[in-house]
Amino acid sequence: MESLAKEQIIKDLLPQKFGKAGKIWVGILLAFCTLGVIAYILQLKNGLVVTAMRDYVSWGIYISNFVFFVAISLVGSLITAVLRLTQAKWSTPLTRIAEIIAVSAITFASIIIVVDMGRPDRFYNLFIHGRLQSPIVWDVIVITTYFFVSILLLYFPLLPDMAIMMQRKDQTGMLWLNKLYAYLGKFWKNTAAQIHISEKAINILSITIIPVAFAIHTVTSWLFATTYRPGWDSTNFGAYFISGAFLVGAGAVVVAMFVFRKAYHLENYIKDDHFDKMGKVLVLLALLYLYFNVNEFLVPAFKMKKSEEEHLMGLFTGEFAYVFWFAISTAMLIPIFILIQKKGRKPLPAFIAGLLVVIGSWFKRYLIVTPTLLHPFLPMHDVPESYKHYFPTWQEWAIAMGSLAGALLVVTFFARIFPIIPIQETITEMEGHEMSHKNV
Amino acid sequence: MKTNDTSRREFISATLLAGLAVTGCSSGKNPFEPDAATIETVKPSGEMIKLLSVDGEVIEVDKAFLKPVPSLPQVSNELARQGIPGKKFVMVIDLSRCKSLKKCQSACNHMHSIHPGQNWIKVYPQHEAEHTAPYWQPTTCMHCDEPPCVKVCPVDATFKRQDGIVLIDSDRCIGCRFCMAACPYSTRVFNWEDLDLPKEIADKPYSCETSVPQKKGTVGKCDFCPDMARKGELPHCVSACPNGVFMFGDMNEDVVTNGSETFRFSDLVRDKAGYRLMEDLGTKPSVYYLPPVNRNFPFENKEEKEETKKS
Amino acid sequence: MKKHSKIFFTAILLQLLAITAFSQAEKNNLSLSISYFNSNNHIQYLVAHAKSKIDGKFKMIPNINLSFYIGTEDAANLLGKAVTNDKGDALIFIPPNAKEEWKKSSKVSFVIVSQKTKEFDEAKGNVDITKAKIQIDTLADKKITATLLELKDTVWTPVKAVDVKFAIKRLDADLNVAETPTYATDSLGVASADFKRDSLPGDSKGNLTLIAKVEDNDSYGNLSSEKIVPWGKSIKYYTEFDKRTLFAKRGKSPIWLELLAYSIVIAVWGVLIYLIGQIKKMKKLGLN
Repeated sequence: MESLAKEQIIKDLLPQKFGKAGKIWVGILLAFCTLGVIAYILQLKNGLVVTAMRDYVSWGIYISNFVFFVAISLVGSLITAVLRLTQAKWSTPLTRIAEIIAVSAITFASIIIVVDMGRPDRFYNLFIHGRLQSPIVWDVIVITTYFFVSILLLYFPLLPDMAIMMQRKDQTGMLWLNKLYAYLGKFWKNTAAQIHISEKAINILSITIIPVAFAIHTVTSWLFATTYRPGWDSTNFGAYFISGAFLVGAGAVVVAMFVFRKAYHLENYIKDDHFDKMGKVLVLLALLYLYFNVNEFLVPAFKMKKSEEEHLMGLFTGEFAYVFWFAISTAMLIPIFILIQKKGRKPLPAFIAGLLVVIGSWFKRYLIVTPTLLHPFLPMHDVPESYKHYFPTWQEWAIAMGSLAGALLVVTFFARIFPIIPIQETITEMEGHEMSHKNV
Repeated sequence: MKTNDTSRREFISATLLAGLAVTGCSSGKNPFEPDAATIETVKPSGEMIKLLSVDGEVIEVDKAFLKPVPSLPQVSNELARQGIPGKKFVMVIDLSRCKSLKKCQSACNHMHSIHPGQNWIKVYPQHEAEHTAPYWQPTTCMHCDEPPCVKVCPVDATFKRQDGIVLIDSDRCIGCRFCMAACPYSTRVFNWEDLDLPKEIADKPYSCETSVPQKKGTVGKCDFCPDMARKGELPHCVSACPNGVFMFGDMNEDVVTNGSETFRFSDLVRDKAGYRLMEDLGTKPSVYYLPPVNRNFPFENKEEKEETKKS
Repeated sequence: MKKHSKIFFTAILLQLLAITAFSQAEKNNLSLSISYFNSNNHIQYLVAHAKSKIDGKFKMIPNINLSFYIGTEDAANLLGKAVTNDKGDALIFIPPNAKEEWKKSSKVSFVIVSQKTKEFDEAKGNVDITKAKIQIDTLADKKITATLLELKDTVWTPVKAVDVKFAIKRLDADLNVAETPTYATDSLGVASADFKRDSLPGDSKGNLTLIAKVEDNDSYGNLSSEKIVPWGKSIKYYTEFDKRTLFAKRGKSPIWLELLAYSIVIAVWGVLIYLIGQIKKMKKLGLN
């Protein structure tokens, strides 16, 4: 009975070949990526002139996309580390989803920042001439660190699963995959000593990743908060960014949970209960983010300093009002309304709420970057008319969408190669569960 | 420059650099013997050239000591990053004299081969509140003593020199544009595309001191023309302004000049109540403004009725 | 009769105007001027200036090839060639081959000739100068004097009633020593002024460079003479350059920042390296 259950789990959770829907999905993503690459080649050839960025709006959707990616990557630490350390066992099936989202998001965050550079050919200058005083250098350091921590946190729990997969060469299919598993995890023999080391390592990583994750997003917020500009000049910014990041990351996990559950028929593993619990987490995080938004906007709006006034009015009632209220309602208000109800935390409504959070958060990042740049201290003057507005060009959209597609592609391929739900951990937990039942 | 310029080139190359020290065969009896103390602290180049003196004597002069300076070689990147020792450059802009002729702007754009449409010098129509007086406010780079742009540069591409000037090394800039976000005075511009420069300019090696040629994918801004200061001359905007709005000088000499008038800097700023822009930000600019009182010209905004918002 | 002649003259005048207008449409007139400079009674040089009236406004003309001559426009008297810069100026020092021509007389003339270009015909300019010298000196109580002498035949003779400017040398500027900028010479060729710029910063020893100048004089050109005096305030300038600040160069960040950053990096990467060591340990356990 017990061994059958174990076999069933393994059978259910082994990576599967793409079905028809999977192939279409990959095809669409690849098409977006190709378009993005073409747009980037054009940008390399002609310079950043192909974007709509100009001297006043010198940062556009590339940077807001970067902030979005960094934000979403924070989820890895939330689900894996925070929930693991607080012994929230229910989160076990979600950890790998969260970690791979984190790794692919942080990868594309670094890619998009290179895309934004005027001279990507001089990227190496960051290493040979790097100045410790610059927040950009801090960002390079923490992003690299976070990337490695996330990779390790992905790797350790994968070891037993790779051993399982190597035992089932016939079921996993392709030869090169087995070679990959062998290369990465041949040494795993499931001995007590190895398990001990691995568990200790995962615990250490879970602790380490929390300050590093806080650091990446705090430092990213400092790229803005260390300037004088209205809308950015805020001591609230680090906490504001981190709360927003936790929200969008958790939203992304809910979306991924739903999709994987549907695509791989994982109803026995990602249960309704998971959506219920994640739904509650999302409400909590949305309320937290709302709290920081109130601080971020209400306090300066109460004073209405001259330098802040145009910026704030532009958001509340001016040219950015539609986007602003759209972002506030889709990222926070509507999801809270949906998820606060018990039936709103069923898989489908929770998925919709999660999607709203992700979309709203993307626009929120846009609003953090661009409107501020359109309201400099000295009025915009002595520039061509086109310098006074910003709407992204098709190249910018193509690159931004291509990078999002690329991040999804990484997650998709990862799920093709590795079990998206940890097999060994699920088995252990199942056994532990039965043991405790027997004892009772 | 095209034909028969060999003699000129030879001649000029033989008469480089500044100073006034003479050695050689001038007769000792001359009551007008130049004072030995006038020798400036310029390093002799060791290369002597022969000239005819006022007394009709043939004299040998170290070429490093000749003045005025016909031309100067570009200084090395290392020297350009250090700046001119003992100097602290300062600019005074007299708002009461400005009528937005923008000669400063066109001279600057021309001398630095700036991308058309972009400007390093901007002349703002300032009108701060309904009942306050409008006035023209030219802005250059403020060359702040605590420059926010330099603080954030990740690669030392923009740097603060000992003479107070903030420059950009376009051969190093990675184009992240953090400095543009950090500058509260919006003085930095970015070269979004290839500049259509004449070949002789485009082929020049980039010099931080001339800021020429500007390069695609890098940031540019007003540089206070340190190449001119090295020659002992004024920045292009200062000499281009027919109304003497801009005054330039060395704070350590306590003098500023617009070419035709020369003032003691401390007296001028004290007597006319000079101030700096956005003092509250703590950037400590090197550009001082004299308030637009007792104006030479009425304010006439001929540009299209433009919103003069100040945010 | 009178009427007729009037009409006649008007007609000729119109004709002339038409001709000049026609020729002007083709090429503008280049006007050349030349200034003589004598610096500290020792080094002399010439500055030529090229300008042209285009659309009613004088413009400086760059890139004009100029030949400088002493005395007459004769190949033997060629001093050198130079090209005008963006300000329309071209500069030349006097080479030794001009010695004989220079020594001939107390008066010297210089000629410049421009090379024909697409926009301008050949043009000429000249200046005649009388050899002169000025010498600056200082007396007690911060009094400055200057003596102006001209060469008459072979005798240096004082010149009276010429304006002399006294100033302190600054960066491309002359700061007047007092309210009045210029002082006329007396019958002994002497002008004098009082130094009124108290506590003006000098160099580290408090030295200032005084200069006495005769500017754009019709007979003598531009003469100047300098003297260094210890009348300034000695200053020790302070600069933040190369101190440890947030705006300093690479490697000069504040100590607190370096300590903070490096300790965090070392701590975190220490953990990561330890964990990689653990992977190696697991490998050993598994493969043995």
